[in-house]
Amino acid sequence: MTKKVFSLAIAATCILLMGCEKELKISESGNLVPKTVTEDLTLPTITVNGAKFHAEAFGHPDSTIILVLHGGPAADYRYLYNCKEFANQGFRVVFYDQRGTGLSQRFPKSHYTSLQQNYDDMTAIIAYYRTSATQKVFLLGHSWGAMLAGAYINTYPNAVNGAVLAEPGGLVWEDVKKYIKASQKMEITSEALNNATYIDQFITGKNDEHEILDYKFRMLASTGNETNITGDESPIAQWRPGAVFQNACLDIGNEQNPNWTTNLHLFTTKVLFIYSEKNSAYGLAHAQKVSAPFPNVALFKTMGAGHSMLSFPTGWNNTYPVMLNYFKSL
Amino acid sequence: MKNIKIIILVACLNLMVRQSFSQSVNWASLKSNNKHIVHVTTGLDYGLVYGLGYSHKIKSQMPILLNISYSFTSGGKLFDDFKTKIGGQARLYSIGNFQFSASIYGIYRRYENTLVRLQNFGSEMTGVIGYYKPKWFVAGEVGFDKAIVTHFKHSENFKTDFPNTQDGWYEPSTGGNFNYGVQTGYSFKNSDLILKVGAVITQDFKTTPLIPYYFQLGYNYKFKQTKNK
Repeated sequence: MTKKVFSLAIAATCILLMGCEKELKISESGNLVPKTVTEDLTLPTITVNGAKFHAEAFGHPDSTIILVLHGGPAADYRYLYNCKEFANQGFRVVFYDQRGTGLSQRFPKSHYTSLQQNYDDMTAIIAYYRTSATQKVFLLGHSWGAMLAGAYINTYPNAVNGAVLAEPGGLVWEDVKKYIKASQKMEITSEALNNATYIDQFITGKNDEHEILDYKFRMLASTGNETNITGDESPIAQWRPGAVFQNACLDIGNEQNPNWTTNLHLFTTKVLFIYSEKNSAYGLAHAQKVSAPFPNVALFKTMGAGHSMLSFPTGWNNTYPVMLNYFKSL
Repeated sequence: MKNIKIIILVACLNLMVRQSFSQSVNWASLKSNNKHIVHVTTGLDYGLVYGLGYSHKIKSQMPILLNISYSFTSGGKLFDDFKTKIGGQARLYSIGNFQFSASIYGIYRRYENTLVRLQNFGSEMTGVIGYYKPKWFVAGEVGFDKAIVTHFKHSENFKTDFPNTQDGWYEPSTGGNFNYGVQTGYSFKNSDLILKVGAVITQDFKTTPLIPYYFQLGYNYKFKQTKNK
């Protein structure tokens, strides 16, 4: 009996070893995640503030700039492509994948020490696309991007001429944590939790193995498909998340406990603040609380849509005219 | 050719494996006529899992158990994520009530979400050292679980976002985790109640899985073999 078992074990091992002919490696860009701008030179790229960014701009270069800020932080701008429509209305629409995510250049976690770098990136990108000192700049931020827009205005109250903030988790860190907890709630017996955790025995990556960590993060993000607390019709389109950037942002937030509202009273321009009907983790009360520090706010509820209200037809069709009127009014 | 070999391996494992989980036994309560042991378990093993297992004690100088086990996760889709193991454990050394045992398993496991289906062949090795009495035991354990080769098959959802995704077998190893913890048990009549708790850390010793702990509550029933003739 013992001999049979050992023979079987040896045979299985041999088959397994012989099976290893052509190798697909999880640590190689292009296999499980797309290549970034540092690996694929055909991608639209700008180099500013010491980093290569995946970026595109649409519309006349001299027109008022709408700088689109994606969420995540580990998402990318692909899911906000609907915003290109503003280019047909006489605006210069600028998209970029933030440092360390999407198809932009990757950095080790130690590279990220504060959000000042994110503000500097925004300043540099605005400067890159601005053709004159009088050219107006609007911010259009979604989720984390809306938090970033708020934080940028709080840091530089005179730098932009208007802003649309779509469901920022919060502008003080406590609100952000509460929103994250509410939007990612999972029962221990749920399929969503299993989808998030069971994969850890199949794939592991070291701290700065971006290809592996980004892929795992993509899998983790898919758990939202099972819970649907945020009310989206389906998963958003995405090129590649930036897991290290995401973790770094959360660590910075938890360590520095930021409050991005201290100077918002200086920004007297009207802000368009959007929240969605179907995101059960958000709602009017949270929208009022988060938007309260702005002295001049127009609250708008997008009906028939969830958190990614700018990505899907119903949400976009219900929100776009309001945003367009807002931008045209400034 | 590679696929054929892997299909043969899968077929072999499927034939051999019916059920699974890492079985813990009280070596001191194991009698010579306990040839067959059935295990039922539940706990945290990268998620909330339920498991069944069977061990067969073979005739040998040192106590050896051959194990097969199967565990699956809770959730809306019960059989999309599961793990099967086949292998054995042996009590290698004993001094009085102190005993050292080791186990080695081959693993086939599956994971599926809306974006991908993963199938993995791996291995698990564990060493256990403890104090064993006929009625109870307490022991420490250290183990390593290696995901040796993994097959990725992505959904249309994923391919819409990334059409150039490479489906297929990924090697060398796609992952590995160490675990360490304690196990204890109480034995009565033909039964053992087993409790295992511990921590999991990835093979770089710096990062942890999302659930960095494991926990297992188990029940063993040892069948007595009656003498023939």
